[in-house]
Amino acid sequence: MFIHLLFYLCKKNIEMRVRDVDKEKLVIATAIDQIVEEGFQGFSMNKLAKACSISVGTLYIYYKDKDDLIQKIGAIIALKFFTGTIKNFSPTMTFEEGLWKQWENRADFTMKYPKEVAFFEIVKHSPHGEAILDSIKEFSDFRQIMKEFIENGLRNKEIVPLTFEVFWSIAYGPLYTLLNLHTEGKSMGGKPFTLTKEMMQEAFKATIKALKP
Amino acid sequence: METNLDTIHIFKTNIGDQDPNCPVRQKLNAHSDIQQWSIDCDDVDCVLRVVSETLMPETIIDMITEFGHECQELD
Repeated sequence: MFIHLLFYLCKKNIEMRVRDVDKEKLVIATAIDQIVEEGFQGFSMNKLAKACSISVGTLYIYYKDKDDLIQKIGAIIALKFFTGTIKNFSPTMTFEEGLWKQWENRADFTMKYPKEVAFFEIVKHSPHGEAILDSIKEFSDFRQIMKEFIENGLRNKEIVPLTFEVFWSIAYGPLYTLLNLHTEGKSMGGKPFTLTKEMMQEAFKATIKALKP
Repeated sequence: METNLDTIHIFKTNIGDQDPNCPVRQKLNAHSDIQQWSIDCDDVDCVLRVVSETLMPETIIDMITEFGHECQELD
């Protein structure tokens, strides 16, 4: 009797679909690779399933369609980015200290996850961008933290008042330009390029100088 | 709450019609045992995905073929 019950339970367990975390990770990593290499147009659920050696049916268990997959992966990356960006950061830091922490965190993320960053760049400029950000509840917290940080800087007269977009482009533009060169591995004229901490500090000094009253 | 994976059924179909009011879509919409469904018209297999705690795959296949569409379960 007991043996029968055990056999029944084992059989049922085998038949049940179990979430395979490793396979999910493989699907996400492969989808990022394919989209970064071929863009949205060349990407398909069939191609992805084949590259992961799983059946198309299994892929559709997890995702409704290509758009759903892109949005879900985008949300995972965005959340990872927000979490990484505010690590050891507080909006009550002095402006200079806080912005440097932002630079360090953003540079760490870009250097650690270049493919995810490239994927997010593609997605950000597509209609999926807004849908992804709206789907992450942590995004509003992140925005609030960054807003508070700028407001504190203004209140404490650590920065000059600027149009938001102008502020952002001065505060982060130099960093992202350098990070792009680093990711490409070359600068103007094809000269090999690696971003160092010293160069980041050099750029940061100039940035702070531009933003100070 | 996360969907129980065993309640998700995946089918290969030939429902290329994107009209939201086509009979098969109306039937899926109106079915009380279907919690969620979608068709990926962009895919070559026009994959139908149905979330239902009670319906068996065979029942869903009958429902689709009744409208003259092809439908077979995807593993």
